[in-house]
Amino acid sequence: MAVTNLTEPIFQSETRNSTLILSKFTPENITKKNIGLAAEFSLPENDPVRIFGLPKKMLLEFRILSKPCSVVRGVTVETKELLDNAKERSSLDMRVVLTGRSGCGKSYLLLQAVEYCKQNGWIVLYIPRATNLVNSTTPYVYDLRTQIYSQPTFAYQTLQRMLTVNRPTLDALELQTALVLEKQTVPAGTTLSALINIALKDKSKASCMVILETLLKELSEQTKYPVLVAVDEFQALYNKTMYRDPHFNTIAPYHLSMPRLLMEYASGRRSFAKGAFLGAVNDSDPMYPMPLELRDALQIEYMRPMSPYDKRSAGIAEYTKGLRALSVPEKLTLAEATSLFEIWMKDRALATVNPDTTFLSKYVESGGNPRDFVWKGILSTIEA
Amino acid sequence: MHILGVNLPDSHLARFALTNFYGIGHKTAHRLCARLQVHDKCKVKDLSPFQVTALASFLSSPATSPTLPRYPLATPDYVPPSPNTPAQELQARFAAIRAKRVENRARRGTDPIVYKDTLKDIKVESELRREIRENIAHQRMIGSYVGRRHAMHLPVRGQNTQSNAKTARKLNQMDRY
Repeated sequence: MAVTNLTEPIFQSETRNSTLILSKFTPENITKKNIGLAAEFSLPENDPVRIFGLPKKMLLEFRILSKPCSVVRGVTVETKELLDNAKERSSLDMRVVLTGRSGCGKSYLLLQAVEYCKQNGWIVLYIPRATNLVNSTTPYVYDLRTQIYSQPTFAYQTLQRMLTVNRPTLDALELQTALVLEKQTVPAGTTLSALINIALKDKSKASCMVILETLLKELSEQTKYPVLVAVDEFQALYNKTMYRDPHFNTIAPYHLSMPRLLMEYASGRRSFAKGAFLGAVNDSDPMYPMPLELRDALQIEYMRPMSPYDKRSAGIAEYTKGLRALSVPEKLTLAEATSLFEIWMKDRALATVNPDTTFLSKYVESGGNPRDFVWKGILSTIEA
Repeated sequence: MHILGVNLPDSHLARFALTNFYGIGHKTAHRLCARLQVHDKCKVKDLSPFQVTALASFLSSPATSPTLPRYPLATPDYVPPSPNTPAQELQARFAAIRAKRVENRARRGTDPIVYKDTLKDIKVESELRREIRENIAHQRMIGSYVGRRHAMHLPVRGQNTQSNAKTARKLNQMDRY
């Protein structure tokens, strides 16, 4: 039967009002008193989530939920305080990588940080899937001037997205020094949005990488707005890439333009006058595991006994200097877990008679791990 | 798209479409894509005109293709020159670095490093077919067992003939390719 023939009210799920009524995720709602509050992300047209995208697993969850939402946790309040301190300080002091067990909520916390900063008027650059920079899915070409492999299409996309998300702030900022390109000179005083438009008009995308670097350089020198660079799947930038040079040698990540740019901000070689760098590691993809050099820098425990003979790349280790780990708690507290349970319960994901016993049993079975609690606990009640 | 008489479907990934050439398998195709700086997920329709001409000129005669230069890779502290530096100046700087490298090696008395380019040894299409034809003709000329079996349309490599051997009876010929 065709979908249009299903006219009974029970099939009209799209038009039915959602029973999920939640508070909004705003900076005022992130307080110690509100730990355990379920908050909905209001996604305007130029929201980072809509424009930059989401990590894979989070995208799936948001598709299943009737509204994209999350729970305000203790670590959210901690991160908020860190970001408030970072607002007036250089990003050299705030280069943090969110670490923790698989499924403990690092990507969600990063997203909450991005939303918080956007709503507080920061300039935001969010890269939800850093693996796409190194898995040979975007064009690359060697540039003799910079002596690295440029990724013009990704630079073009990043410029387009940054312009859409941060247009009002970029309209207010201007180029301090003239930029001399091959074919034209961009005079000083041009707004940063006009500078980005020059790159977007260029069909060959040849000048995109230069303009992206100039844009970030201008953003790092200005002190009017703090800048947040948030990178999910951060460990992919420190692994071997899938790219090959013309002699079939593997290209190191710091010899590709986009990873190199991000790694320079991560390692403090470049920094924003006001802002922060946040990364979140991800262990869903075995192609890009947590590398030794990052484990050393962030002081994360090794999976097996390590010896000095284990290979470490000096080049990659150069770009891990000064990174700080922020450990996301493995367990949800009872208040947070209750809130999360209620979100799914109100969204009619629960197929049980007695929610209280189900909640306690699933909480104990998953050990408080957020992903296991939702996927192996709550959503598995449908199968049972 | 047609390159050297072979149709490469536009919607296919370039890395796998190249295997449509006789004599190019997955490994050679991967190396060819690396040589042309074609990323893994590039479709044939996304190949730039420069890449297509480079591919066609390479495959028309792999042995006589120009040697690829080894371009330098930036150190962590490298500061690039300004964007309006002309390309000739950059090439001149690179040529100067290369000449200095050669001079240093000559002064030290060490031999220049010879890098093996495996792609130069490949044969494709008509050249490869000619080589196989010549090999079969050579086996016949010297009067070997292999040559006789090709001439008799029978299996060459010691397979059973009491049963099966249908493919050999159909395909094993002197003018096979």
